[in-house]
Amino acid sequence: MKKIMYLEFERCIGCRSCQAACRECGGHDAKERNYVEYVDFLESRQTFPMMCMQCKDPACARVCPANAIQITDDGVVLSAMEEKCIGCRNCTFGCPFGIPKFDFEENKMYKCDMCYDRTKHDIAPMCASVCPSDAIRFIDHDEMMELRRKRTQLNLIEGKKPSENNKWQYVPEFFGVYSD
Amino acid sequence: MKELERSFYSKASMYSFIVVVILFFSIWVGTGQFTKVGWMKFGYMVSSFIFFIGITVRLTAWLMRPATHEVMKRTIQNMKTTKRQKRNVKAIVKTLVDNIILQKFIFKRGIYRGIQHWLIAWGCIGSLAITFGLVFGWMHFRLVDATTYQLVVFNIPTITMHPDGIFAQLVFNGLNIAAAMLLVGLIMAIARRIKNHDLKVTERAEFDLFPLYLLLAVTVSGLLLTVSFKLLDGWMHSTIALVHQITVVIFLVYFPFGKLFHLPIRPMAAAVPMNYQETVQVDTKECIGCHKPYSNDDQIADVQQMLGNQAFDLKMKDGNHPSDYCPACRRMLRVMNHLNIKSPVGEVAEEPVQTNNGIHIPGFGRRRAESFYAQSVKEEK
Ligand code: SF4
Ligand code: SF4
Repeated sequence: MKKIMYLEFERCIGCRSCQAACRECGGHDAKERNYVEYVDFLESRQTFPMMCMQCKDPACARVCPANAIQITDDGVVLSAMEEKCIGCRNCTFGCPFGIPKFDFEENKMYKCDMCYDRTKHDIAPMCASVCPSDAIRFIDHDEMMELRRKRTQLNLIEGKKPSENNKWQYVPEFFGVYSD
Repeated sequence: MKELERSFYSKASMYSFIVVVILFFSIWVGTGQFTKVGWMKFGYMVSSFIFFIGITVRLTAWLMRPATHEVMKRTIQNMKTTKRQKRNVKAIVKTLVDNIILQKFIFKRGIYRGIQHWLIAWGCIGSLAITFGLVFGWMHFRLVDATTYQLVVFNIPTITMHPDGIFAQLVFNGLNIAAAMLLVGLIMAIARRIKNHDLKVTERAEFDLFPLYLLLAVTVSGLLLTVSFKLLDGWMHSTIALVHQITVVIFLVYFPFGKLFHLPIRPMAAAVPMNYQETVQVDTKECIGCHKPYSNDDQIADVQQMLGNQAFDLKMKDGNHPSDYCPACRRMLRVMNHLNIKSPVGEVAEEPVQTNNGIHIPGFGRRRAESFYAQSVKEEK
C-alpha cells in the first residue's frame, strides 16, 4: 500500500457523508463502521470523523480470546472473523480509541478495516472518497509530509514554536498503513 | 503437573501423548483387546489419530495466548466458586441451547445462512461422532439372533432392537441422514458463495472455499457408497469406498488447521454470560467520564490484565486506563488531546498514545507554558 489516511479533525463539517458511504460498502449490512461525533457539544458544533488507526500492535487483537481479529500482510486490522468471534466485547474495551462496534443481535464485532478491498489496490476508502471538506484524505506519503511541513510552518506563524524534537506534535493526525 | 511437563518437549506434546494413550486404551476396550480391529478401516484410524493430535496441539497453543488464558483463568475460578454455581449452570445451558444447538445468532444474520450453517454443523458433528465411534470400535452392532441386533458400546452390550424398527433404521442410517443434511447445507453455502458478491471482499479460496468443496467430496462419495450398495448391487463399490476413504482422510487431517477449527473453540462463548455480561445488553460498570454504564468490573479488570501482560502501557495522566472510559468518551478524549482542548472528562497522557506503526506520531500543539499566555494577555492590553 503506497498511500495513507490523513485526518484533519477541524475540517469536518458534520455532513456525515463518510458514514453514508461506509454503509454502502459491500458486506457492511448497511451499518456504518466509522464515527462522526461532536468534540464538545456544549462548547460548539464542531464535529470530528473517527476511524480505526490500524495499529501496528493492535490492542483489540491482543485482548481477543478467540483470535478472531486478523491483520493482513500490509498491516490492516480486519473485522472479527465471523466464525471465530465469541461475542465477548473485549476488543471494544481494549482498543484505546473506542473503535470496534458490537452487534448484539448477530453476536459479533465489526470495525473499520480501511476498506481493505479498495485500499489494497491504492483506491481511496469509501469515507475518504466522499468527504467534501478533505477532513479525511487518502494521499501519498510525500503529500502527507508536505502537508505536515506546511502545518508546522503555519503553527510557527501563529507564534507556536515547536522544537526539533516535538514539531511533529504540532500537526494533525495521520495514520494508516504505509510500506514502500 | 509441572514435573510431568518437564519430561516432555512441550505442553502440546504432553497433551498429545495423553490423548493418544486414552484413544489407544479406548480402542483396546472397544475392540475386545484388539480382536475385532477392522483393517479396512486403517486409513480412517490413522487420520483420526492425526485429527485428535492436531486438535490437541492447536487447542494447547490457543489456550496459551495471553487473552485466552486470562478468560479461561477466570472461567475456572468462577466454576470453583460455590456462590456462582447457579449463574454458571445457567450460562452453560443457555450457551449450549442458544448458541450451539439452535445457533440462534446465525439465524439472526439471515434465515438462509442460519439453515445452511445449522445443516452443515450438525451434519458434520453427527457424522464425525459416528465415524469415530465405528473407527475406534467404541460401538458396533452384534447379531443376537435372526431378528435382534444389539448395540455394543465399549464392548458392553446395551439395548437390543429389531432391525426393521424405527430406532434401528435411524441408527443404521445415521451417516446417511447426516450426509443428506450436509449435502443440502453445502449446496446452499456454495450457491451463496457464487451468487453473493459482497462475500468476495473477504473470501479466501484456501480458507473459505476449500473446506466447502472438500466436505462436498466427502458427502457425495459417502452417499454414492449407499447408492451403489442399495440400488446398484454394489457396482463400483470398492472404488467408491477407496475414494471416500481418501476424501475422509484429507478432511480429518485438514480439520484442525483450517476454518473448521472454529468448532472446538466455540464452547468458550459460555464464558461471556458466565464471567462478563450476565444478561445481554445490561451493563453494570459506569464510565468514569460520562457515568453511563458500559461494561462490567470483571471484564475491564481482565482486559487491563491482558494488556498489562502483553506490555501495553496505556495509563493516562490521571492514572486511569482508556478502558475505564466508555468507547464514546475514549474517542472524544483522543480528539480533544489532538486538538489541545482540555477535556471535561479526563486527562490523557502528555503524549498521545503511540500505536507504533512507525509513522504515526499524531497530535496538535500541546498547551504552551503559562508565560506565553501571560504575554498575549499583556499584548492585548
Ligand atoms: S480497533 Fe483500536 S486497537 Fe484495534 S487497530 Fe483499530 S485503533 Fe488499533
Ligand atoms: S467480541 Fe469477538 S472479536 Fe472482539 S474480543 Fe470478543 S471474540 Fe474477539
